[in-house]
Amino acid sequence: MIESKRRRRTVANIATYFVLAGLSMFCIGPMIWMLLTSLKYEADIVTQTMQYIPRRVTFDNYVAIWTQSGFPRLIGNSITVTFLTVTICVATGTLAAYAFSRFAFRGRTQLMLGYLVVRMFPAVMMIIPLYVVMRGVGLVDSRFGLALAYTSFLLPLFVWMLKGFFDSAPRELESAARIDGSTRLGAMVRIVMPLARNGLVASSVFIAIAAWNEFLFALMLTTGQGSRTWPVGLQLMVGEFQLPWGVLAAGGILSILPVVVLFAIVQRTMVQGLTAGAIKG
Amino acid sequence: MATLSIKDVRKSYGSVQVLHGVDIELEDGGFLVLLGPSGCGKSTLLNMIAGLDDTSGGDILIGGRSVVDLAPKDRNIAMVFQSYALYPTMSVERNIGFGLEMRGVDADQRKRAVDDAARLLQISHLLDRRPANLSGGQRQRVAMGRAIVRDPELFLFDEPLSNLDAKLRVEMRTEIKRLHERLGTSIVYVTHDQIEAMTLGTKVAVMKGGHIQQLADPRTIYERPANIFVASFIGSPAMNFLPGRLASSPSGVRFAANGVSVAMPAGKRQVDFDRPVILGVRPEELKAVARDEASVTGVIDVVEPTGPETMVTVQVGEQSIIARLPPRFAGRRKEPIFLAVDPASVNLFDPDSEQRIDI
Repeated sequence: MIESKRRRRTVANIATYFVLAGLSMFCIGPMIWMLLTSLKYEADIVTQTMQYIPRRVTFDNYVAIWTQSGFPRLIGNSITVTFLTVTICVATGTLAAYAFSRFAFRGRTQLMLGYLVVRMFPAVMMIIPLYVVMRGVGLVDSRFGLALAYTSFLLPLFVWMLKGFFDSAPRELESAARIDGSTRLGAMVRIVMPLARNGLVASSVFIAIAAWNEFLFALMLTTGQGSRTWPVGLQLMVGEFQLPWGVLAAGGILSILPVVVLFAIVQRTMVQGLTAGAIKG
Repeated sequence: MATLSIKDVRKSYGSVQVLHGVDIELEDGGFLVLLGPSGCGKSTLLNMIAGLDDTSGGDILIGGRSVVDLAPKDRNIAMVFQSYALYPTMSVERNIGFGLEMRGVDADQRKRAVDDAARLLQISHLLDRRPANLSGGQRQRVAMGRAIVRDPELFLFDEPLSNLDAKLRVEMRTEIKRLHERLGTSIVYVTHDQIEAMTLGTKVAVMKGGHIQQLADPRTIYERPANIFVASFIGSPAMNFLPGRLASSPSGVRFAANGVSVAMPAGKRQVDFDRPVILGVRPEELKAVARDEASVTGVIDVVEPTGPETMVTVQVGEQSIIARLPPRFAGRRKEPIFLAVDPASVNLFDPDSEQRIDI
């Protein structure tokens, strides 16, 4: 009886690990493949027999993409657009999230719901009207315009996320600060923001990653080198170089590096529980 | 130090009215306790005094100055919260000094004020710690330190002891009383604990359903409750209620019920005889006596010795009452018991309106 129970558990464990390993391969496999490809010589990439582990390692692909294409420019544009998007989101979204979290006003629920509904429309549907609007105000092919476009669909998400963090900061702390001599805004900045700092960082990183990786809007709203971001630039290289696999892979690796770094930051800050001790417990 | 006047203050959320025209006057240096069950509006009233909630009508004056249009920071009050609401990112010292910091007091002066308050509350050794590293009682003291350091006109306490364990609660209660007597600042104190209300208040407002049921000093509230709700809310074990009738007899007016016959003191006011009334008797006003002195006759149901006294549940007719008798009371279950009542200590209530009848 006990014996068979134990055996059943062993079988279940093996099955669990099998599924997990399979899924991990599926998720991480392409990235490992990209890394390996970026380190191969062009001649070793397309071969008769598959070469999984490169026999010869080279960094030529990295040098090539950084020096022989507009890649640094693309990365620079991406950095600018991402920075602008995050700045706009933090400046406006923080205030909005605080208002949603603390004030009861007419249309509050509907507005919050509206934010979600906006997210439900596929980006493809919004892209044409957005393009028309952007052209109308002369923001096509500008980094600021692209940042505004990103804000339009990332801000609702940011507000929703941040509202959750604000909700978990005890209201009594603000009441205490207001009695101690703060204004409402002062209490938010001095008391609530430090408490929600982790949430703010996490939400901002989330926004940053989304803006960094975005492709569709960037493809439609940028036309020239001046504002093109790396996902679009990388895609356009496919034609320019007749499928330079190694260089493309190197570009991919360089582009996801910032994302990996940012994620490392989110992980660390999200775990820290700063609110401990505010309330009894 | 200042007086507090609450004049016809009302509060409604949409169509729901939670406070119906509350009037309270608190003398300079007084200690007002707002007492009532959950949802009676006591915390709402406190928040409106603090300015954290808007009033829907009426006026609130602190030291003769109307404050309803002022922000909380401009009312010159300090508040101690149930959760203590210490700023978790700041040290104890900065927590206590935060109000002074906000008011632009310079660092030296601030340090001196914080040190004084810390010494008064015996938390000087904790100044460098964060709130997370304090025990419940220490947090409570820090919260009080943050209030007293500003020397406000009025202290507000929102159930400050309800998160503490029983022993610490008694200690801190004494501490608050000592603090009040030492500082002399007016205090408004919200609680649902009747012991806190009785021990601390110079004035107690018993609230229920957004109305003040009775506003008086603790002694009056205890001995002459305005209605059955107040009578049953204050006191533990609760006051005994016996339904019966008022009847005239050769020896004067008597209260009579099954197993009960209590002579009423000669009153100034004329009351209707032969009407149904409810007699209210505190458990400690009942004494075990010989049969011929008894005004209440019953059968012992439960005997519970607690140490300093013995609680005896007695079946009187269909009613069950509790008597607080001396520790060495020797009665047993099912035995008859004879109890006497001091007529001066009883209260009569109207069964319909549940209001007290003056006799």
